[in-house]
Amino acid sequence: MGVPFEALIPYAICLGMFGVSGAALSKIRHMQNGGKRPRHSVDQWDRQMMDRDRRLTGFLRGQTDSVKAPAGFELSNAWRLEKAIV
Amino acid sequence: MSARPPRFNQQVLIDTTPLPDSIPKVQEIGSSSAPLLSASYFIGARCKAYNDDYMLCKDQSNGKGEMECLKEGRKVTRCASSVLEDVNKSCLEEFRKHWECLDNNNQQLWQCRRWERPLNKCVFDNLKLEKTIPGVPEGETPVHMQKRQIFAHSIASQ
Repeated sequence: MGVPFEALIPYAICLGMFGVSGAALSKIRHMQNGGKRPRHSVDQWDRQMMDRDRRLTGFLRGQTDSVKAPAGFELSNAWRLEKAIV
Repeated sequence: MSARPPRFNQQVLIDTTPLPDSIPKVQEIGSSSAPLLSASYFIGARCKAYNDDYMLCKDQSNGKGEMECLKEGRKVTRCASSVLEDVNKSCLEEFRKHWECLDNNNQQLWQCRRWERPLNKCVFDNLKLEKTIPGVPEGETPVHMQKRQIFAHSIASQ
């Protein structure tokens, strides 16, 4: 008696579907991060630096190594406002 | 109350009023986070005096450092941009490879030692700036010179 491979086909389908969805999610995350691996364990310092990158380049994960900042960079840091609770 | 970060911010305000002319203007640094991290030890090697000055001024100014330490801050910015300019002129390729690797790896320096070694060598040869980690105990090799990085993901990037 050989291996009953017809019985193992559903397992192969399940594994394949897991793989496809995992790969699709990974590809979407890759594309959302501008072609780079996503950042993890982001703390306040990293959030602040990523906000600065967004002000410099326009993208959250954009990077540039120019020495001079673009015009208006000094004034583009926003004040975060919340409504006062009176 | 100004010290509490806004937790429920519903809107932002961008104030486009420039600084008054009595404050001298300095060109802000245009590098983003990965190139700055890559060049940080070289900036520290060249600008240690100015950085320490600025930190001492902020420490001693009792909360008013934002306005009182502007002069030291300008010196820090000018020195750091001079380092970045020199690195851009002499070691651009190694610099770019290193910070692209850092950007891909969550800004973790230990994943990118393979590209850091040629950058350190090039900067040392051209600019005479050496990366030193302060506070290394006697007799131990600093972590950036060790052969095996224990937390790196793969052997290929060490």
